[in-house]
Amino acid sequence: MATTKSHPKSSWDTLHNNGPFPLKTLHVTELEGSANMFSKYDRYNDAAKEIQRLIREAADKNEGFRAYGSAWSLSHIAHQKDNMHFNSFMSIHIPIPQELSHENSSYANENLFFFECGNTIKRISEVLSSHGKSLKTSGASNGQTIAGCISTGVHGAALNVGSIQDYVVGLNLIIGDKPTDIVYLERHTQPALNDDFAKKIKAKVIRNDHLFNAALVGLGAFGFIHGVVIEAEDRFLLKRYVKKIPKDLALQLADTMDFKNSTFKIDGEVDADGKPLRPYHYKVFINPYTNDNEYVVEVMYKKPYQVPYPDPFPVIKTSLYKDLIYLLIKISEKFPKSIPWFIKQLRKTILPAVDEETLGTLYETFWDAPYQGPAFACSVGIDHTNSSKAYKVLEEMTQKEGPIPGIFAMRFVKQTEATLGFTKFPITCMLEIDGVLWEKSRKIMSLTEYSRRMIEVLQENDIPFTIHWGKNSDWKFPNLVNDMFGEKVAEWKSYRNGLLSTEMQQVFSNGFLEDTNLHLPNNTNDEDLIVSL
Amino acid sequence: MKLGYKTFVRCCVAVIVCCLLSSCYTVRLKNVYGDPEPDPFNDATDYYRYMKVREIDTTIKISVTDKDFTKLIKDCSEGIYIMEYRNTFGGILLSAVTFGRKRKVKAKYVCLKPTN
Repeated sequence: MATTKSHPKSSWDTLHNNGPFPLKTLHVTELEGSANMFSKYDRYNDAAKEIQRLIREAADKNEGFRAYGSAWSLSHIAHQKDNMHFNSFMSIHIPIPQELSHENSSYANENLFFFECGNTIKRISEVLSSHGKSLKTSGASNGQTIAGCISTGVHGAALNVGSIQDYVVGLNLIIGDKPTDIVYLERHTQPALNDDFAKKIKAKVIRNDHLFNAALVGLGAFGFIHGVVIEAEDRFLLKRYVKKIPKDLALQLADTMDFKNSTFKIDGEVDADGKPLRPYHYKVFINPYTNDNEYVVEVMYKKPYQVPYPDPFPVIKTSLYKDLIYLLIKISEKFPKSIPWFIKQLRKTILPAVDEETLGTLYETFWDAPYQGPAFACSVGIDHTNSSKAYKVLEEMTQKEGPIPGIFAMRFVKQTEATLGFTKFPITCMLEIDGVLWEKSRKIMSLTEYSRRMIEVLQENDIPFTIHWGKNSDWKFPNLVNDMFGEKVAEWKSYRNGLLSTEMQQVFSNGFLEDTNLHLPNNTNDEDLIVSL
Repeated sequence: MKLGYKTFVRCCVAVIVCCLLSSCYTVRLKNVYGDPEPDPFNDATDYYRYMKVREIDTTIKISVTDKDFTKLIKDCSEGIYIMEYRNTFGGILLSAVTFGRKRKVKAKYVCLKPTN
C-alpha cells in the first residue's frame, strides 16, 4: 500500500524563497515497494487510491488540497493554505507497448512514454536517453516535475517547438474520490493510446480536444495530475553559441524571426545557398542599465546525435558567496543607484561567456541550476513582432522608476494549444527580468509594485500580453486574466466546471486562483461538454 | 616601542586567524546524473535547500600501522548525488599531534532519489 505521512506545518515556501505562505498540513506519499507489489500498474493504481483518500479527507473537512513537486514556481500558484501534497516520490515510468497504441494514432509508438507526476525533467530525460530519445524542449533547467511544468506552462527558447505541455499527448487526472473520478484525457483529433491503456490505470477515457486543451495548463485546478503521456523524439545534439551582436540586429531578429535574410551569420550554420539557418533556440540577454550598442545572444542549432562529442560539462563549477549577494542587496535597498554598478561588476557571473561554444544533448545543455538564494522573475509573453516595442517601454519604466536588481532576457516559443497557455501568440516572446529578491524600502519599490507597473505600461502602450503563471506578478491586478486571455477564460472555466463537481472545484482551488478570479465557475453549466468526441 | 610591539602582536594574530580560516575549506563532489533525494522539510537557505542531507561528524581512530581507512555509507542504496567534505584546522592539528592515529571526518552527503 502507498503510504502518506501527514505533518502539521505552519508555513511553506518556494525553492526561491518567494514566501513564506501559511499552511496547515504537508502530506508526503511514498509508493509501495516494488518487492511487495511487482506490477508497476498495480503500484500506480494503488497510489491513485491513496490520493483519492487524501482528497476525500480534505473535502470532508471543507479544506483545499494541492499537489506540488519541486516548489520551482516563484508565484504562489503551488500554494494551498490547508493541505499541500509533496508528490516527488511518485515517480513511476511505464513503457508503452505497441498493443496499447490507439489505432488512429499518428504518433510513433516508440516515442510515447508514460510518466507519473513526480518525475523531474532530469529523470525523464535520463529515461528517454536510455531509449535513444529526448524531450523536445525543456526549461532553462531540469529540476521541475513534469506535472508542475505543464500546470504552469514551463518553456524554453525553442522557437519552432513550443513549451513542455505541447508534447504532452495524454493526461491522467484524479478529480475526486469515486472510482469514476479517475479520468484519462486525450485530444480526439490526435489520439495516442487505446482504451486498454485506460483500463490498466482504471480510468474513464475522454477524448475531447477542448477539454484536453483546457486541462493541459490547468493551474492545479483540474484535479490531481497523476500521470502524463508524452511524445519524445530521437535524441539530438545542440550546438550552442554565445555571441555579442549589434543591439539593432538582435532586436530586429526578435521582431521578425527572419534569420534567413539576416546579416547574423555563424560559420557553418548556413543552408546550401549560404543563407543563415533558423536556429532551434534564440535568447537575448539585456542589461537595462548600460548603453551598450551590443547585446549578448545565445543561439543553438539542432544537430543529429553522434558520438563522440566533447564533454559539455565543466569539471568545476563555482558559485558566488551568498553573503556577498545578501550584502549587495542590502546596499541596493538603501542605495538603489548602486544597482547598475553591481550588475556591471557581476556581469561575468550573470551572463554567459561571449564566444563560448558547446555541443551536447538537450539534457546536458539545460542542466542543474542549484539554489542560489532568494530570487525573483517577472515574465511577460508578447507577440514576437512586439518584442522591441515592449522591451523599450519596459526598459524606460525600469530606468525611470527603478532600478531593480535584475536583468532582462528574451526567449521565443512556438504557440501552444493549451487554452490558458501564456505562449498564445504564433511565436511568443517571453520577455523576462530575473534577479535577486529585494525588499521594498523608501528608495526602491516593491516587487509587486514593479510587476504592477509592467502590466500598466504594457496596457498603456496597447501591447497585448500574457504573464508566466509560475513567475512573480501583481496577480490581483483588476481583470488581469480576462485582459490576457479574453473569451478563453470562460471556455477554461466551463470545462473545469463540467469536469469537476462543485465540491471538488473548491478542493482544488487556492489563493492564486482566487486572486486571479479563476476559482469561480461560470454561471452556465453545459453538461454536454465533457464527452468523448 | 610599546606601540610597535602591539602592532606586531596584532599582525601575528591576524596572520594566524587568516591561516586558520584558509585551512578550513569545503570540497563538494557532485554526480552529473540523477536527482537528489528530496526533503520537503529542509528549509535551509543553502545549497542543500529541499534536499535530504546526511552528515558524518566523527573522529576515526586507527592504529599506527594503518595507512588509511574506509568509512562505509550504508544508507544510500541508489548511490550518492553529492558528497561534501570539510577540512578544518582542528582536524589537521589532531591528525598531526596523534601522528595520524586520530582523523577527524566532517562530511555531508545527499543520496540519489530512489527511482520507482
